Formats: sequence, structure tokens, C-alpha cells
Amino acid sequence: MKIERFTFTERAVHWMTAISFVYAGLTGLALWSHKLYWIASVFGGGPATRFAHPWAGTVFAVVLGLMFRSWVSSMRLDAQDQVWLRKSLQYAMNDHHGVPDAGRFNAGQKMLFWTQAVAALVLFASGFVLWNPTWMPRAARLIAILVHPAAALVSITGIILHIYMGVFVVPKALHAMVRGEVTPGWARAHHRAWYAGLKGK
Amino acid sequence: MIVAKLIDTSLCIGCKACEVACQEWNDQEFKPQPEFLGTYQTQPELSHNFWNLIKFNEIEQDNKMVAWNMSKYQCMHCADAGCMKACPAPGAIIRHANGTVDFVHDKCVGCGYCITGCPFDVPRLSPKDNKVYKCTLCSDRTAVGLEPACIKTCPTNCLTFGERDDLLFQAEARAKELQSDGHTSAGVYNPAGVGGTNVLYVLKDASKPEQYGLPKDPTIPWTVSLWKGPLKALGTMALAGGVLGAFFHYLKFGPQQEEAPDED
Ligand code: HEM
Ligand code: SF4
Ligand code: SF4
Repeated sequence: MKIERFTFTERAVHWMTAISFVYAGLTGLALWSHKLYWIASVFGGGPATRFAHPWAGTVFAVVLGLMFRSWVSSMRLDAQDQVWLRKSLQYAMNDHHGVPDAGRFNAGQKMLFWTQAVAALVLFASGFVLWNPTWMPRAARLIAILVHPAAALVSITGIILHIYMGVFVVPKALHAMVRGEVTPGWARAHHRAWYAGLKGK
Repeated sequence: MIVAKLIDTSLCIGCKACEVACQEWNDQEFKPQPEFLGTYQTQPELSHNFWNLIKFNEIEQDNKMVAWNMSKYQCMHCADAGCMKACPAPGAIIRHANGTVDFVHDKCVGCGYCITGCPFDVPRLSPKDNKVYKCTLCSDRTAVGLEPACIKTCPTNCLTFGERDDLLFQAEARAKELQSDGHTSAGVYNPAGVGGTNVLYVLKDASKPEQYGLPKDPTIPWTVSLWKGPLKALGTMALAGGVLGAFFHYLKFGPQQEEAPDED
């Protein structure tokens, strides 16, 4: 028996977000440090990288907006989530005793969601300021030049951990996001409260 | 040998021959005034195809008369150059052995970071090729032993080109002369905040460089220093820490269980 975890639309939005994020992230990192400038050659050289980055970022901001709309109602943090977060270190050490059952998303996933939402807003606002130096006053550019990479680093670090969890730590999580389905056993192991809710219906 | 250009503003007559020489030598197109400016100044500001501007700063004096503080505005060829600090493209901004800061257009990606990093607001993005342009200190002339075009053409000896140390000495001497002539606050503009510049000025009133259209204490903006210093270090640690942390976490704890048994 299979349970539907993510609809086709949810998966399509997730992967559009992922691809545009990686495109924006790598083209951005190419210009972040001289040591990473070699990345630019993968994207067609420096000027092409510089041209593509803000557009990839804009696509990312738009699809993230869609993702936000479809998931925000499942992402509110409740009292159980507070307990989960307090036990998150224990969770990270694969000891799940006393860690509250997770709903459709666990508290860690919810935190990632909110971090990315805020970071994307900041990235878009500051990225727009940097897009063309003739559009914006100097004072705004001086702030954006600091805020944009800072937000990017928070967001990229979050995504590194997200990919690690989804690909390596939680078996079949990647499959759930690609094909959309999970087994009851998987749902019990990782999102027990969600599974219980489904069974109750 | 570090070369420099000395601008003795007290000798500038505002003839703008240097502007013409700059346009000519650098093969720039004829550039009409965008609109009537109400002054004798040629252009409101520098642009990608106009690198050398004589500013006609109108200053009201104590006796209510208006004075023209003429000053020549262009890249200052800073010793500690904000443009270089900000530039993400290796080799797009270089410093020649003689101290001149030069843009290499083949390598420029057109991000405009140098515009934000420059304390003098000098580089300009060209809408044609999306590269930045500014005064080169005529590096194509100085490389073969010629002086810059503006220097060559100046009719009043307001402009001098030469070894920086000599010019600094000359500038101090001229400032003293002006002081003894009654301009008690005459002095040399060579801002320490950017490590000194390879464009030096003698000002009749060095206590108020703003009256010559020059910033008072220019430095590389602190957000630029923070961005290219501590933030860069912090960022490298965060990214490397994330990847290494994940790697060692996997070695120590490995994956979670895939399925929980059926308890129903
Ligand atoms: C949301 C819309 C975005 C816009 C309009 C935008 C725009 C820009 C612009 C104009 C720059 C300047 C140079 C360049 O093109 O690389 C830049 C730099 C950068 N961007 Fe974005 N960006 C956006 C999103 C993102 C995202 C999602 C990320 C990260 C995943 C990101 C990471 C970076 C990084 C690391 C830099 C280099 C900063 C530096 O040089 O210090 N940006 N961005
Ligand atoms: S004046 Fe501006 S463009 Fe010229 S060297 Fe200094 S920082 Fe660079
Ligand atoms: S616009 Fe060109 S020269 Fe200026 S910082 Fe960007 S790559 Fe460097």
C-alpha cells in the first residue's frame, strides 16, 4: 500500500525552487570570492554569470512564493514543535525517545521553511538594489552589498543541511519528493501524527 | 617609481582644454550638454564616455561675492582603492607598477561593485557594453614615457605630471607660498583615509575640500570592508562547516531507520 505524500503540483514547485536556487546560488557564489570564480566558467563566463544570476534569483523568488502559498498552513509552529526543538539535538543523534510525533512536517522542516521565506524576501529586496547600480542611490547599495551575501549564506547553509537530511539521513525522503508516495511504515517512522490523522479520516 | 598628477587649483582658469584633450586622446564621441545647466560646467557629472570634468564650484565668500573654485575631477588612483577591493572578477581592476589603477574591460563582468566601493564615485557603467570606464591616467601614454593628455595640454601649469614624491614636495612648497600670500588655510589634498592618492591637489582652503567638490575624509565604506573582511571569513566557515559537519555526522550517526513496524 502507498500513501500520497506530495501531489504532482507540490513536487513540481519544489523542484523548480530547487533548480533556480542552485542556479542563483552557484552564479552568486562565483562572484562572492575570487577563489570561487572558476564556477563562472561553468555558466558561460563572468558576464553571462552576472547576467543570469538576478534572473535566476527572480525565478526562485516567484516559485518560492508559490511554495509558500501551498505549504504555509502546514508550517505553523505549535506547542509540540517547541518540545521537538528542545529535543532536536537528541533527534540529530538518532535517538527519538521522547521526541514528539511529527505532523506532516516536523519542527526542523518548519524552521527551514521560515528561514528560507525570510531569506528569500531579503535576497530579493537587496538583490534588486544590486541589479543595476544606476537604479538605486549609493546608500542603498552600500547596505545591500552587505545584506545580500549575508542572507545568501544563511540560506545556502540551511539548504546544505536540508539536502543532507533529505538525501542521506532520512531514507526514502528523496523518493517521496520525486515520486510523491511513501509506505505506511515510513509515515509511522517519520511523521507519526500525520499518519494517525490520515488513518482517522 | 610611483607617478602622480598634481593639480594646483589656484592656477586653473577653467578653460577646459584638459577635458577636450581627454576626449580626443581616448577617442570619445562629442558629448553635448544634456540640458542647460546654468553654469559654465560642461557636464553635470562624469560618465562612461567623459572621464575628466572641470567642476565650476560656486562659493559665496564672506564679502557676499561669488567665487569659482575650479577643480578637476577624475579617478584619484588611490593607494588603497575601494574599487579594487570590491571587484569580484580577478584581473578586471589592476594596478600598474607605477601605481596607476586601470580597468581591464575584457575581464570586467559589469556588476558595478566598483562603483559602490569607490569613495569618490568615479567609475561609470556603459549602457553600450555593460563595462565600467574611468580615467586611465593615460596608462597607454605613460607606458611609453609620455605625460597624460590633460597635463600635456594645460596652458597655465596648473597640471604637472611626475614622480609622486617630487610632486608632493612641490605641492607643499606651493601651499606655503599661498599661505604667505594670505591664504592661511592653503594646503595639500592627499587623503590619508585611502592611503593617499596619485592625484594630488593644492587647495587655497584645504580645511574645506567640499568647496572644491572633493570629499572631506574619504575612506573605503565600512560596509565594503566588513563584506570583504569578516563576512567573507564567516561565510567560508559557515559553508565549509555545513559540509564537513554533515560528513562527520554521517560517519558517526548514519541514517535514521526507514520504516517503523506496524503496531495496529
Ligand atoms: C531573489 C532575487 C535575486 C536577485 C535579484 C539577486 C541579485 C544579485 C545581484 C545583482 C548580485 C550582484 C552580482 C551578481 O550578479 O552575482 C548578486 C550577488 C549575489 N547573490 Fe543574488 N540575487 C537574488 C537571489 C539570490 C539567491 C537566492 C542567492 C543564494 C542562493 C543569491 C546569492 C548571491 C551571492 C552569494 C552573491 C554574491 C555576493 C557577493 O559578491 O558578495 N542571490 N545577487
Ligand atoms: S578614485 Fe575610485 S575608481 Fe579611482 S582608484 Fe580610487 S576607488 Fe578606484
Ligand atoms: S563592474 Fe567590472 S571592474 Fe567593476 S567591480 Fe564589477 S567586474 Fe570589477
